[in-house]
Amino acid sequence: MQRLLFLLLCGLCLPVAAQNTAKKKAASSAPASAVQSTSLLKVNVTAQPYDLHLPWQKQSPLNSRGLGVVVAGNRVLVTAQLVADANYIEIELPDGGQKLAAKVIAVDYEANLALLESAINAEKEKAFFAGLKPMEVDASARIGDSLNVWQTGRVGDLIESPLTISKILVRRYVVEGSGFLVYETTGIVRSEANSFTLPVIKGGKLAGMLLSYDSKNQVTTILPGPIIEHFLKDFADGEYEGFPGLGMEFQVTLDGQLREYLGLKPESPGVLVTAVIKGASAEKAGLKKGDILLAINGQTIDARGDYKDPRYGALSSSHIVRGNAYVGDDFELKVIREGKEETLKGKLTRKNPDDYLVTPYRFDKGPRYILNGGLLFQELSRPYLDSFGEQQTENSALLRLSHIARHPDELEEAGLKKLVFLSTVLPTPSAQGYDQLGGIVVNKVNGQAVGDLKDLDAAFKAIKGTTHVIELDDFPHVLHLDAVAAEQDNLRLQGGAYRISSLKRLE
Amino acid sequence: MKNRLCLLLLSAFAIAALPGHVRADATTPPEWAGIVNIEVSVLFPDYREPWNAGQPSGGSGTGFLIGKNRFLTNAHVVSNATRILIRTTDDPKPHPAKIVHIAHDCDLAIIEAENPETFAKMTTLDFGSIPRLNTEVIAIGYPIGGDRMSVTRGVVSRIDFRPYSHTSVDSHLCVQVDAAINPGNSGGPVMQDGKVVGVAFQGFSGRVAQNVGYMIPVPVIKRFLTDIEDGRYDHYVDLAVSDFPVENPAQRQALGLQDDGVGVMIGDVEPAGTVGELLKPGDVILAIDGNPVLNNGLVRIEGDLVNMNEIVERKFAGDTIQLSYLRGGKKEDASLKLKRFSPYVRLGSQYNQRPRYLVYAGLVFQPLDRNLVDAHQIRDATVNYVFERYLTDKLYVERPEPVVLTSILPDQVNTWLTPYAQSLVDEINGVTIKTLDDVKTALAKNDKPFIEIRLHEKNRPLILKRDLADAAHPRIMQTYNIQEDSYLGQE
Repeated sequence: MQRLLFLLLCGLCLPVAAQNTAKKKAASSAPASAVQSTSLLKVNVTAQPYDLHLPWQKQSPLNSRGLGVVVAGNRVLVTAQLVADANYIEIELPDGGQKLAAKVIAVDYEANLALLESAINAEKEKAFFAGLKPMEVDASARIGDSLNVWQTGRVGDLIESPLTISKILVRRYVVEGSGFLVYETTGIVRSEANSFTLPVIKGGKLAGMLLSYDSKNQVTTILPGPIIEHFLKDFADGEYEGFPGLGMEFQVTLDGQLREYLGLKPESPGVLVTAVIKGASAEKAGLKKGDILLAINGQTIDARGDYKDPRYGALSSSHIVRGNAYVGDDFELKVIREGKEETLKGKLTRKNPDDYLVTPYRFDKGPRYILNGGLLFQELSRPYLDSFGEQQTENSALLRLSHIARHPDELEEAGLKKLVFLSTVLPTPSAQGYDQLGGIVVNKVNGQAVGDLKDLDAAFKAIKGTTHVIELDDFPHVLHLDAVAAEQDNLRLQGGAYRISSLKRLE
Repeated sequence: MKNRLCLLLLSAFAIAALPGHVRADATTPPEWAGIVNIEVSVLFPDYREPWNAGQPSGGSGTGFLIGKNRFLTNAHVVSNATRILIRTTDDPKPHPAKIVHIAHDCDLAIIEAENPETFAKMTTLDFGSIPRLNTEVIAIGYPIGGDRMSVTRGVVSRIDFRPYSHTSVDSHLCVQVDAAINPGNSGGPVMQDGKVVGVAFQGFSGRVAQNVGYMIPVPVIKRFLTDIEDGRYDHYVDLAVSDFPVENPAQRQALGLQDDGVGVMIGDVEPAGTVGELLKPGDVILAIDGNPVLNNGLVRIEGDLVNMNEIVERKFAGDTIQLSYLRGGKKEDASLKLKRFSPYVRLGSQYNQRPRYLVYAGLVFQPLDRNLVDAHQIRDATVNYVFERYLTDKLYVERPEPVVLTSILPDQVNTWLTPYAQSLVDEINGVTIKTLDDVKTALAKNDKPFIEIRLHEKNRPLILKRDLADAAHPRIMQTYNIQEDSYLGQE
């Protein structure tokens, strides 16, 4: 009874949000839960991530089940986490159990969203979606609003868990990258078989998707409607560009002594810019380390780095660009540089994971590598370093790799696109004596500088005589590899005990 | 079994007599009376609160008479000692003693009784040589399990070049025996045919290995005794290179080596070491002092294959060494004066040192070394990197003594700085911090109203208003009960 009342109230509130059509829909959908569930689908995924240490092979397949939300154009919205490294995806009608193979047509691992479409011919698709209704996105939720997590039972029956938004803030989702808007809610979420991508509903519309649930404290984080809206709008033209970013770091200026040192008046806003990422939007607009950032797009940044959002109140300034703007939009920064106020202008861009010296994340595609005579070369990535866990702070080679990863600027300036390193050595006759080596950055091969694995591939072909000369950044500094023996070993690696399918992956 | 029991009983009996009056006996020669128990009170320095004296503790080991009122023992037995007492089983009186020489790098020390008359009439123990593999030895000392002298018996299991755990960064010749060596045996003699063939010093715990005990062999002891003849210990000298075994046929050919098993590649060179200006990675050492160096870095000394460092090990600072090496296929010869390579010392445990530090306005600065890293359990990636790669990335060249802002004692003046504890200091007031002394110099610069501290890989500078910080300093010293605001070492 309470629930019904809540939905009705919700419907009553809606007209304020200036969405006229929403009113009717929400009000009419409230009493009949069977109607509502026609926008939900079960999504079954078999994912198989690549082995980061033996990159020619994949790990064991993992099955996960989640829920998808039907959106316009017979498409299904899910979290990117659910479909990461997917081998096979199928969507399933919760009540009837019919299944349809699906594929990813747009995915954003930073925003943790993906859009699916039928992988089968149009006729089957039409029949499958015939009884389904697309759900609209709601971006109107505020602190104090009530939401509902939807799950489906065994026969498609709707299970609802009510939640209340207690905070709206900016936080990292799953992979590294700037923060995104998050609703933090309190309430109990029932545990059902669907582990991923639970839709969160407000007045019959999609207000968000469940990101995490802490059952001990009964705190849920929710990927909110405005980010979903942004994602769908971006893809409306069929081409997905992703969320833009300024590409800078700042420090708060709450410390009175620091403020005085920076010449900031007690009541003055502004944060201290402490890093500007090479090649990102802010750098292109001329932002420099040491600038005091006063405003982004006319929004004043306070000493904490927050701005006053008209909907949510104080919010991290990163949301001004991340959540509200698109790639290609104009932006404007107001800064104090050497005591004078300046305005910097530019167009928003986005740095893709492959544009970084150390790849922050990589899904669906296997890690790049070259295997030659048992010597395995890879490009350094964050997941590779993270796969060592605690060892990262103890192992000498890893400490050095991590240290280099923290200083990409100098290496990027030296012309490096990726950090190529000898990751491990498989025991072969041609690599005899080298099998204890690993984690060492490669400088040159056969006299040629190595800026990425493609360079390395070319360098191996540019052999002088019959011996490859591999120059390393660290002990033992130089290795020699007999090219003929290595070729024989390469054949053995492919056909013998290791059964390695391919000696390299460059894409 | 019966034999051993008999031996123990007899030896206990022998020691019951007064020193100097020990009866000659088939199983307990009179010089065994010179094998004594050393009881030590220690203060473990406090690297967390470096202004405090430290934690009192105690321990016990063994030593033996090798000269007039001179007892040889392990450095680790008497490290950080505030009081040393020599006890013998037949004499109720403890005899106060002091350290004469201590060599942490080879874990050996000489102590003497404060009263030289006490042990004047006692017979000394003589040294033998390196015992052969599979020959019988006995270890004598005062290990756990009882109060009186203990003897255990075994054979020489292995002769090898091994790390010495006292500093954890020094490696020397080491002899493994399967005679039980337990805590308290440390510093005691291992004997064969009535001669000392080693000093028992370390073992493996029973959970890791069984019957693995180690002794410091005679060449290492003799080197120590020779080194201190001039009244001073001058430490080991070192080539300070890392060798990379030449096992790969392509590597061997490319380096211009014959297929005769001779020559080891240089994988890394310490610029501040003996060969820092001569060798570079990719060179090949062919011979040291005329001894051919094999592909795996071993040389043959007295019939046994040992690490090539063993040749250098037996020499002293200022001695010369002949090197034959190959560069770009061309053979070269060089004669070099050996010198000590000291930057590595801070990577190992150090003893008998008062922690150095400087406190200003609640910010505690300390030099980076193993003792500090262990005490503070540092998790900061930058500090760990600099510590771990201090030698291999040649960081000591630029910063001989990296300084860590280890902790911040909270006060209103530094309340915004507390998240920056355990950071590596780069610059203070424009002065590059290369040693702890630089911190003092840099803080003394007061030409600006602000103190500006820049940290490695921390994006913001730490700013303190000088007048506020100066005013807070005495207050913090008092509140946190700090007697002196710095100890920079003896002037």
